[in-house]
Amino acid sequence: MSRPLLEVTDLHKHFPVGHKGIWGEPAGYLHAVDGVSFAVERGQSLGLVGESGCGKSTTARAVVGLHPATSGSIRYEGNELVGLSRRRMLPYRRKMQMIFQDPYASLDPRQTVGSILTEPLRIHRTVKPRQRRLRALALLDAVGLNPRQVNRYPHEFSGGQRQRIGIARALALEPDLIICDEPVSALDVSIQAQILNLLADLQERFGLAYLFIAHDLAVVRHLCQRVAVMYLGRIVEIADRDELFENPRHPYTKALLSAIPVADPVVERARRRIVLEGDVPSPFNPPSGCSFHPRCHLRGEVEGERCSTEQPHLTALAGAGRREASCHLVQLEEARVPVGG
Amino acid sequence: MLQFLFRRLLWFAITLFSVVTISFFLMRAVRGGPFDNERALHPAIEANLEARYHLDWPVWKQYLQYVGPFNLDHEGLVLFGGDNSNVFGGVLTGDLGPSFKLRDYTVNDIIGQSLPISIALGSVAMAIALTLGLTAGIVSALRRGTALDLGMRLFATVGIALPNFVIAAFLIIIFAFQLELLPVAGWGSPRYLPLPALALGAPFAAYIARLTRTGMLEVLSADYIRTARAKGLPEWLVLLRHAIKGGILPVVSYLGPATAGILTGSLVIERMFAIPGTGSHFVGSALNRDYTLAMGVTILYTVLVYGLNTLVDLAYTLLDPRIELENS
Amino acid sequence: MASKHKEAAGYDSGSGRFDLDAGQLQALLNEAKRFKGESLWQDAWRRLGRNRGAWWSLVFLTLFVGLSFFAPVLPLPSPMALDPQSEPQPPFLPWEASPRLPENLPPGRSFEFGTGATSSLGAFADNAWRHRTFLDFQLRAEWLPGDPPPGGDELRDLVKAASGRSSAVFVKDGDEPGTVIERHAVPLRDGDRARVEYRPTGFDGTAQVLVVGRDAGAREAWVDFEVDLDRGALESYEVRTSGDGIELVYTLGDEGDQLRDRRYLAEVRGADGITVTRLRIDGERVPLSWSVDGGADPAGLDGQTDAADDLVAALESADQIDLQHLSELQVVSQDGERSIVVRRQAVPAIGQEGHNHADLARAVRAEIASRGSRAALLEMSHLDGIWDLNPLDRALVWVRTKVFGLWQTGPLLGTDNKGRDLLARIVWGSRISIQVSLVATLCSLLIGVTYGAFSGLVGGRTDNLMMRIVDVLYSVPFIFVVIFLITLINEYRTDLADYGIGYMTVFYVVIGAIYWLTMARVVRGQVLSLKNQEFVEAARVLGASTPRILFVHLVPNVLSIVIVYLTLTIPAVMLFEAFLSFLGLGVEPPKVSWGLLAVDGTEAISAVKTFWWVVVFPAMAMGSTLLALNILGDGLRDALDPKLRGKD
Repeated sequence: MSRPLLEVTDLHKHFPVGHKGIWGEPAGYLHAVDGVSFAVERGQSLGLVGESGCGKSTTARAVVGLHPATSGSIRYEGNELVGLSRRRMLPYRRKMQMIFQDPYASLDPRQTVGSILTEPLRIHRTVKPRQRRLRALALLDAVGLNPRQVNRYPHEFSGGQRQRIGIARALALEPDLIICDEPVSALDVSIQAQILNLLADLQERFGLAYLFIAHDLAVVRHLCQRVAVMYLGRIVEIADRDELFENPRHPYTKALLSAIPVADPVVERARRRIVLEGDVPSPFNPPSGCSFHPRCHLRGEVEGERCSTEQPHLTALAGAGRREASCHLVQLEEARVPVGG
Repeated sequence: MLQFLFRRLLWFAITLFSVVTISFFLMRAVRGGPFDNERALHPAIEANLEARYHLDWPVWKQYLQYVGPFNLDHEGLVLFGGDNSNVFGGVLTGDLGPSFKLRDYTVNDIIGQSLPISIALGSVAMAIALTLGLTAGIVSALRRGTALDLGMRLFATVGIALPNFVIAAFLIIIFAFQLELLPVAGWGSPRYLPLPALALGAPFAAYIARLTRTGMLEVLSADYIRTARAKGLPEWLVLLRHAIKGGILPVVSYLGPATAGILTGSLVIERMFAIPGTGSHFVGSALNRDYTLAMGVTILYTVLVYGLNTLVDLAYTLLDPRIELENS
Repeated sequence: MASKHKEAAGYDSGSGRFDLDAGQLQALLNEAKRFKGESLWQDAWRRLGRNRGAWWSLVFLTLFVGLSFFAPVLPLPSPMALDPQSEPQPPFLPWEASPRLPENLPPGRSFEFGTGATSSLGAFADNAWRHRTFLDFQLRAEWLPGDPPPGGDELRDLVKAASGRSSAVFVKDGDEPGTVIERHAVPLRDGDRARVEYRPTGFDGTAQVLVVGRDAGAREAWVDFEVDLDRGALESYEVRTSGDGIELVYTLGDEGDQLRDRRYLAEVRGADGITVTRLRIDGERVPLSWSVDGGADPAGLDGQTDAADDLVAALESADQIDLQHLSELQVVSQDGERSIVVRRQAVPAIGQEGHNHADLARAVRAEIASRGSRAALLEMSHLDGIWDLNPLDRALVWVRTKVFGLWQTGPLLGTDNKGRDLLARIVWGSRISIQVSLVATLCSLLIGVTYGAFSGLVGGRTDNLMMRIVDVLYSVPFIFVVIFLITLINEYRTDLADYGIGYMTVFYVVIGAIYWLTMARVVRGQVLSLKNQEFVEAARVLGASTPRILFVHLVPNVLSIVIVYLTLTIPAVMLFEAFLSFLGLGVEPPKVSWGLLAVDGTEAISAVKTFWWVVVFPAMAMGSTLLALNILGDGLRDALDPKLRGKD
């Protein structure tokens, strides 16, 4: 296997919070992303799921350089991106684009669709000036909008149409990887499906890879080949889609999946749901040990104080689906069960 | 609360320090002393005058002397020891120094005589502004869309647009000359008060009316008013108990700027009506280059405006618990 | 592999990897022209159009601003000129025959308009203009070395022949090094009473004399009064009057100390109520000018008028010194070929004779030609008739003379208590007020937007500190500080003028410096919220540079709110200008602004008779403009404020 398209290793992103005195040092740091590692293969898509505030959006923003990473490494086709200047970053931006969450905020209200779509071409000069406008039309066509609307303004479009424009802008540079930051969560459900289908089509057509951020498991299941579950700035479990959804191993993943209602009322009624207690702890002051342990329904299963004192690490598990999880219990089970059993 | 007051006090000190320092040095930077204006003086007299006002000292020493009670002798600043014969009162002790033009008067004397007049005028103007403005605003909001509302809004818009000295001119024509009800100008008895106070308060009444109307309309369409009406509360009680409190909040926050505005407006009005208040002294001092007086009044009004603004902010939090002092 | 695919598909062509080919795209692009969207600007404009109040305000303001801009073209009487009548005249109705209309002009007399002060047209065409307006013009003479220099008597004669009056001469260094400018001042007629106050400006060498005019039609005029303390000194002086003349006796000494007592400059009192009031001492030269004190008895004025003329005659014969010294001064530059003398002379404009200064200029030219002199008339301008007109205004005045000739309207809105046409004053006053408010608002815009945008963009501690400073400034009662500052700046006026900074410039900057605070706050808030908008982040993800983000994305989005605050700042600044001018700290006579009009209005109120038009018309102009601006500002806010725009 060749090396992955995007490889993120031990990514940390800390935000300073508050300040002591008038001009003093920050009172503390918010560990939004705390040692995240994953890889995205060419033409594949990786879903990044988790509750709001778990750091998945921050991860995406760190990857595209909107929030410079505190530490760790982000490699695109083996080339390190962390610490690159704007100019040095430009060639990678051409290959790595982003779709934003809010279609109402992500388009400049004072530019026509045409200028929004040609802006990337103007910045990167990949298309001859006279051809840029034509490219904008072709892009509109590719995302299923009427190219005649190229001279209109964003406020003249609906939410779904705007998101299509956002997708077209991301496509303009013909990237290999698109980072989708909850691209459908601000849309109506009926529109969500259209956009997801469009994204799937485009992936197939242009061989795109997605890093897909979502809090909706169904969306991820629809689109992604591989899924990572994040909790409080860390990835707790990462596996191929079917493995993860069929057989979740981490207690948090289990809890998340059990929250998905089943369409059959008989099954739904009989189904045992795991209800998590309490709220997500503040990332400003994360719990010791396993950050999930205060809410974990299985924490009694591990003897001693291990869950609350020792931080588990993401370790590869046996079995199909290149699964990794970070949980003491899972690792104990893994040790008990003979490899291949 | 205490922390808020403390922070306000700190910023106030910084503000006042900058005002005093910058204006002091600007004042001293002006070439030619304050006495150049008059016929040439005998050198001995000039020297005497300069010595009296310490103009022969180096500037830093003059500054210290102006600012506060420091012990300054011929050598310079004496921090410890020495007798107290060379301690001069300064701004910090509330002593604003002598007036350069009105000989034999200190700035404190002048302010002491004129400030009560200005305060009387200003508070009556403020009372007029509030009474007229609130009444007009509330009536206008309740009778929305009627001719009354339209007329009041028109009046308010014109009132905001016209400068107060024009309003004053009209008032004088009407009340003093046509109807001959009130004296044209001057000071001394309550009869002198209505015209200038009205002229001074009118633009603010207009603005308050507008604010009240907007605020009341917003509140009257709020859900909790509908609830109050739905549970059968009489309309006047709805108004009194629920609507007005929310509706006049914007007015409360406007009180700070309004106070500053009335102080400013008094410069013109006092001059126009020949009222011997602080404002007309200030303008006079500016025209006559009486720097110490001008500076003293500036400092006084800085203190006044700052203090009143702080009071208004406090009042605002009492009325609207949603506002936190720390963020203001 | 993928990249090869791209190249094969023509990566830099419009169609790229996409479905449509170039021909289809071009066709679609042509079609798209019919589907133009509506930008937010167009949308706001449409909304504004629906707001009838705002729309009419815009129309009104456009008309009003246009009217005041084209003031020099309008056939209005002079806003400056003085009328001896001391009582305001009521509005003039066009159908009333008015004796005040020009009737004394030689009919059909064509003239060449040389320089361009509007007032001159009205002033000299009208029989009622009997006041003293000085015309000031420079004469430039050239002669070859060895020839007797022209000037002195010759130029003086020219002026006298042209104006019908004798003049006294001031000499002054010209703008270019080594040049001298003479100013011939001509005596005031009509039994002027003058009171003189002496005000030193506080620094060595220059003094100013304030001449307060006679009681009827009193006005102020500044007269330059220069004393050079370093070059020689005047030891003593004496004015002697005898039966048929007046003599000025003076002694020059070397004791500079004597000059420190400046009192003698103020008044040199002669007998018989004749006062020599303007005395200029410039090194060894003592040129003179004078006015006449007619005493307290108005009936005596006629006699004094004669005395004044006598004084002129006497001085002409007595003070040969004047001319002697002048002729020594005339050679200003000698390069071996020729010498150039620049002289400046003032002659009175004499209304009764139907003169205007174009006539005078022509008369002087003719006089020069008839004498075969090599002097050349350089320029003529009003000394105190009207403020200096810029070239554009002169062009407009030229248009006026071409269109209307000497015709002017009667006092349509009446006159004020100095006999000045109220309509003209309102129009010219609006001009200054609008100009001040626009320039000052632009100042505030410049400071506010730069400050706010910088603060918002940089963020963090810098932002915090910068906004704290704004907070502090907010809590200062700024108007007091500004008045204080203006007082101080007044001290430096002459210095500033040396650097070409006029008082008005300072005034603009000072006003602008107060009104930037709100703008800075608004812009900063807007930038701060826009900075984190996703479309800005999208641009950053695309790799846009900071300038690009700033100018392509932030500026157009901040612009609308800036426009709204701009429209709301303008009336505030106008009010402030009126406020300062009212207090005598703003625009100064002879210029006129709304604040000064209001002063005139308040002066016109009296118990005996209320000259309502002096109060009402300026108030109407001011009120309606401010009202329109307020309404327009509110309308613009409704039309442009993005908060009102829902996410639809």
